[in-house]
Amino acid sequence: MEKNFYGVFKTFFKVGTLLLGGGYVILPLLTSELVDKKGWLTSEELVEYYAISSSLPGVIAVNTAVFTGHRLLGLKGAVAGICGMIMPAFIAIIVLASIFNEITGYMSVKNIFWGVGIGVITLLFLAVREMWQKSVNDTFSAIIYAVCLVLALWGKIPLALIIIGALICGILHQVWRKEND
Amino acid sequence: MIKMFLNLFFQFFHIGVFSFGGGYATLPFLYDIAEKFHWYTTSELTNMLAVSSITPGPVGINVATYAGFTTSGIFGAFVATGAIILPSLIISTIVFKIIDKFKTNKFVKGAISALKSAGCALLSAVGIKLLFTSNLHLIGTIILVILIGTSFKKKFDPIFYLGVTAFLGLILGHMHLIGV
Repeated sequence: MEKNFYGVFKTFFKVGTLLLGGGYVILPLLTSELVDKKGWLTSEELVEYYAISSSLPGVIAVNTAVFTGHRLLGLKGAVAGICGMIMPAFIAIIVLASIFNEITGYMSVKNIFWGVGIGVITLLFLAVREMWQKSVNDTFSAIIYAVCLVLALWGKIPLALIIIGALICGILHQVWRKEND
Repeated sequence: MIKMFLNLFFQFFHIGVFSFGGGYATLPFLYDIAEKFHWYTTSELTNMLAVSSITPGPVGINVATYAGFTTSGIFGAFVATGAIILPSLIISTIVFKIIDKFKTNKFVKGAISALKSAGCALLSAVGIKLLFTSNLHLIGTIILVILIGTSFKKKFDPIFYLGVTAFLGLILGHMHLIGV
């Protein structure tokens, strides 16, 4: 397929369509489409983009689309990548939202959603455990975790402020370590 | 109406700027919005979470589209979805241009490691709040403990956990063992 706006859009549209279950399958999907099938980039490049994307704010799939799009076609490619990536999600939700409120009136659907609530808490637990293993690995990060948790549970401050606070602490911690070296 | 669009845009734009840690990192902000603006309820959000696991696309995008659509129709859906991805486009574009400096900078590394811990803490808080506000009953608590307990031995796909719990909800509800 040609490496133009439409080609990039179409490739990411396909990835966006196959992206089920919350984004964790994005890397294998992109590898199969961009590296194996099209040869547009190397798998090392892709892994690097993914790693950086996951340390930036926002949705990882979208960040990865921006990076790969830029690498292929510049800003035009980034826009094509984003549009392709989110279009299937957008359409699916518009269709679903229209029928969502009607079906939730049924008793059986209510029961299903009661059960699914338990599944969601399980998934949250698994996500927290995975994030924990990747992030909390020394005293400093453990303190950040504990303080942020307490603030998020009982503090009456906006979540954005907690994030900004953590960002400043992370930088100050490096400054302090540099001075002690 | 304009005020509604501006508010939608601002709220989802700020999620795009501040949610760190990927995957479910947008959730703390989405629950926060539910409590503040009533564009959707917290239980609707939990349902949406499950639904978004079986529809294409990342959950943050799904909920943005849903919130925009239910509050102000198709145009609202465009505004909210556009707002949550715009920071990604801007920030990732900048980082792409300075990628080599970005990778090796010590302060960037320090900031990212603190932000990941913070993102993890915010998501933990959502889980804890959800646990105490959900109407689980004894039987639901037992199911939850079993699912989490077995996950230490073997972790299944998200679809597995949602499928099993959906099925159990249907069956238990039919047997009138839960009062929904």
